[in-house]
Amino acid sequence: MTGRVDYRKLAGHDDSDDEFRYEDDFLKDDDLDRDPSFGTRRKPKRKAPPSSTDGNASKKTKAKATVEILKQRLSDDEFADEDMITLTPQLPDGYVPDVVSQAFGAADFSYLKLKPDHFSRPIWISPKDGRIILESFSPLAEQAQDFLITIAEPISRPSHIHEYKITVYSLYAAVSVGVQTEDIILVLNRLSKVPVHQEIISFIREATVSYGKVKLVLKHNRYFVESTQADILQMLLKDEVIGPLRTLSSENTVASNGLISLAAPTGELENGGKEPQKSEDIFASIIGKRSEEDEEDDLDAVHSFEIANESVEAVKKRCHEIDYPVLEEYDFRNDERNPILDIDLKPSTQIRPYQEKSLSKMFGNGRARSGIIVLPCGAGKTLVGITAACTIKKSVIVLCTSSVSVMQWRQQFLQWCTIQHENVAVFTSENKEMFTSDSGLVVSTYSMVANTRNRSHDSQKVMDFLTSREWGFIILDEVHVVPAAMFRRVVTTIAAHAKLGLTATLVREDDKIGDLNFLIGPKLYEANWMDLAQKGHIANVQCAEVWCPMTSEFYQEYLRESARKRMLLYIMNPTKFQACQFLIHFHEKRGDKIIVFSDNVYALQEYALKLGKPFIYGSTPQQERMKILQNFQHNDQVNTIFLSKVGDTSIDLPEATCLIQISSHYGSRRQEAQRLGRILRAKRRNDEGFNAFFYSLVSKDTQEMYYSTKRQAFLVDQGYAFKVITHLNGMEQLPNLAYASPKERRELLQQVLLKNEDAAGVEIGDDVDTNFISNERRQKYEQSQATRSAGSLASIAGGEDMAYVEYSKNKNKELREHNPIIQKMYYQKQKK
Amino acid sequence: MPTATKGVLVQCDPSIRALILQIDSKAPGIVLDELDETHLLIKQDQVMNVKNELNKLLSKNIYNPFDEQ
Repeated sequence: MTGRVDYRKLAGHDDSDDEFRYEDDFLKDDDLDRDPSFGTRRKPKRKAPPSSTDGNASKKTKAKATVEILKQRLSDDEFADEDMITLTPQLPDGYVPDVVSQAFGAADFSYLKLKPDHFSRPIWISPKDGRIILESFSPLAEQAQDFLITIAEPISRPSHIHEYKITVYSLYAAVSVGVQTEDIILVLNRLSKVPVHQEIISFIREATVSYGKVKLVLKHNRYFVESTQADILQMLLKDEVIGPLRTLSSENTVASNGLISLAAPTGELENGGKEPQKSEDIFASIIGKRSEEDEEDDLDAVHSFEIANESVEAVKKRCHEIDYPVLEEYDFRNDERNPILDIDLKPSTQIRPYQEKSLSKMFGNGRARSGIIVLPCGAGKTLVGITAACTIKKSVIVLCTSSVSVMQWRQQFLQWCTIQHENVAVFTSENKEMFTSDSGLVVSTYSMVANTRNRSHDSQKVMDFLTSREWGFIILDEVHVVPAAMFRRVVTTIAAHAKLGLTATLVREDDKIGDLNFLIGPKLYEANWMDLAQKGHIANVQCAEVWCPMTSEFYQEYLRESARKRMLLYIMNPTKFQACQFLIHFHEKRGDKIIVFSDNVYALQEYALKLGKPFIYGSTPQQERMKILQNFQHNDQVNTIFLSKVGDTSIDLPEATCLIQISSHYGSRRQEAQRLGRILRAKRRNDEGFNAFFYSLVSKDTQEMYYSTKRQAFLVDQGYAFKVITHLNGMEQLPNLAYASPKERRELLQQVLLKNEDAAGVEIGDDVDTNFISNERRQKYEQSQATRSAGSLASIAGGEDMAYVEYSKNKNKELREHNPIIQKMYYQKQKK
Repeated sequence: MPTATKGVLVQCDPSIRALILQIDSKAPGIVLDELDETHLLIKQDQVMNVKNELNKLLSKNIYNPFDEQ
């Protein structure tokens, strides 16, 4: 088996890594590394029941062993100081607020008593909302971090102080990887400087106690709610929301007393002897891990009732409300109904440790868990998705945001794994393919699948094909951008056993992020950007915000104009232009390759033409694009290109080392992170002392300042520091500085003022921002509106003498395409 | 007979100058004289008023992450 990745070898290698060793001490979510049956998961033939029970038993002993280790570690610092600490839920009587306590308002916890050895403990836990503050300079920090990332969600991770938050979802995720309630509380108490508040303890207990009792299973394209305890199901059926959602299917419903009807396991599982075994296995490992008494239940029958596909989300939501959250897991190794897809990673494919770690959270106990993996741009999200697909080995469907990324996913699948060409199908508005074998891969876009309007015959045929099948695995790329309604349609129309969401920025401007928990699952893993940068997986980036004062003429007009025109004025601010020119000049001299981003197409053209640089935007023809990009990569005469929004995601340029942003999409944190991602994968990142540069040019005293700070919020939470540059030294001395004289500036102002308001708008193209806006709005954008310009009737009619001079030539046209042979020889030499 | 008005010399960025002029255009009687790009002479009793107005206008351009929570 050449195509096999030896996970154990990889894991063994990882064990030498400090971080992994620490984690092993704390948790058993690394079952991936230790599960003896896991290494054989690429041999589907060896999945006979005996092996699964073996694995089960060994899992249990391992779980016990880990708990023992934990207990030992914990007992060596028993709380002898416990009696010295008094818990005060309310403000104590003798409490005197000190001078600064007023500034903290309700968050003043100075009354909490510190443990005597608090200096050696790294965290604080807020009794109010479960927020955890970690001192990341503490010697225990690395262990604490690994523990916290399992039980809590990272909020902000700059270099010295990290902030986490315990939420219901993070606790579910913790329980589903096998951490026990009491252990969470014990370890938290051990790490905390102050005793963990009773409210937090009861919150953790409540959230974890009932988790995993109820399961949602997809069988034969129908959803069943399963549980080993019949009384829980009866309770659910009596619930006013869930009860009516049950579908009565004649063959396996036994109406016993009118209200409750449970399917007997034998009637339910027609497939014979294998299935009960399978479900027993599932429960033994999930519940059995928790307590010994539950084991008896495992031997009992599995009870279930069916619900309709549309009501899945409602049931999930309701179950969560009544504290019986459903568990969605897919035992892909024992799934014999769905044909196996012949797919394996190529031997040359290397998985990085953090990718491995994120996958270990997904396949923690040998089954696939649905959820979201968060990795920075350029850190190899695609490869994580592909590896997951290679692990499950069932039919896969990939959904992404634009047709460009559809082609990229397809190409990456073919590049990294052994899947056959004929098994890969693409479903976009241009291509409507289906695979003919009984299992395969389909790559499509969200909008294609979620479309509710009339479809063409071809696409209807493909759609029927998609909905009629049972999919082993669905990969949802860029999950955070898809509107909740569209997402719901996608998730309900396509029946998939396991769902994996991939994203770099789990933020939404509309705060609908919570919905993803019901639709996909909990966040399984979130990488630490700073950590990856330190280890050299992504580039080190210096971020700077350059403040460009508005010239007085521009500012006066700015104050007078409407909101949209204002935008045009602060983008076209001559000082900003000069700053841009200066930075390009400075970095070209250093030998950097520069990308300049502008969301605004008008500004993009103006800047690029004036500076004589090539540019790409939405309506640049494909061939010209390729030509420009190729020249940027290989030609040392072309060191700067201007890109519009089309460059945010779909263009991959590892050569770029410097990034300048002159206009952006309002306060979008996602765009900022995505743009940063363009230089994170810089080729030269492993050079000694290499730094990539990210400049954001902002016009002072304008609305842009507001947006700029808002945009940075996400990156600041990831630990990036934005330096503010108020003055670029030597800018005035730059030869050929544009708009240096007041006359030139006034001309520019005139030109800008004459521009239509629409020039301030954003570009419409095949990307996330426009693929998901409503149809009417899109049409409004696309309609070309009347243009107004001042002039005499004679000149408009062509009655005046006119001569044309092209004074700012388009650099795009000058770039030549080399003959393929010369390209090959010349470029190869260049690379060396 | 010559009259004297007490004034305060304000030195500021061109953009702030433009803002003060805008405030003046809404409620005339603040600015006594526009000296150059970065200097203005304003009435002494209007100083606090101008400061408040400026703070109000400029705070619109500052993002406060706690506003949203």
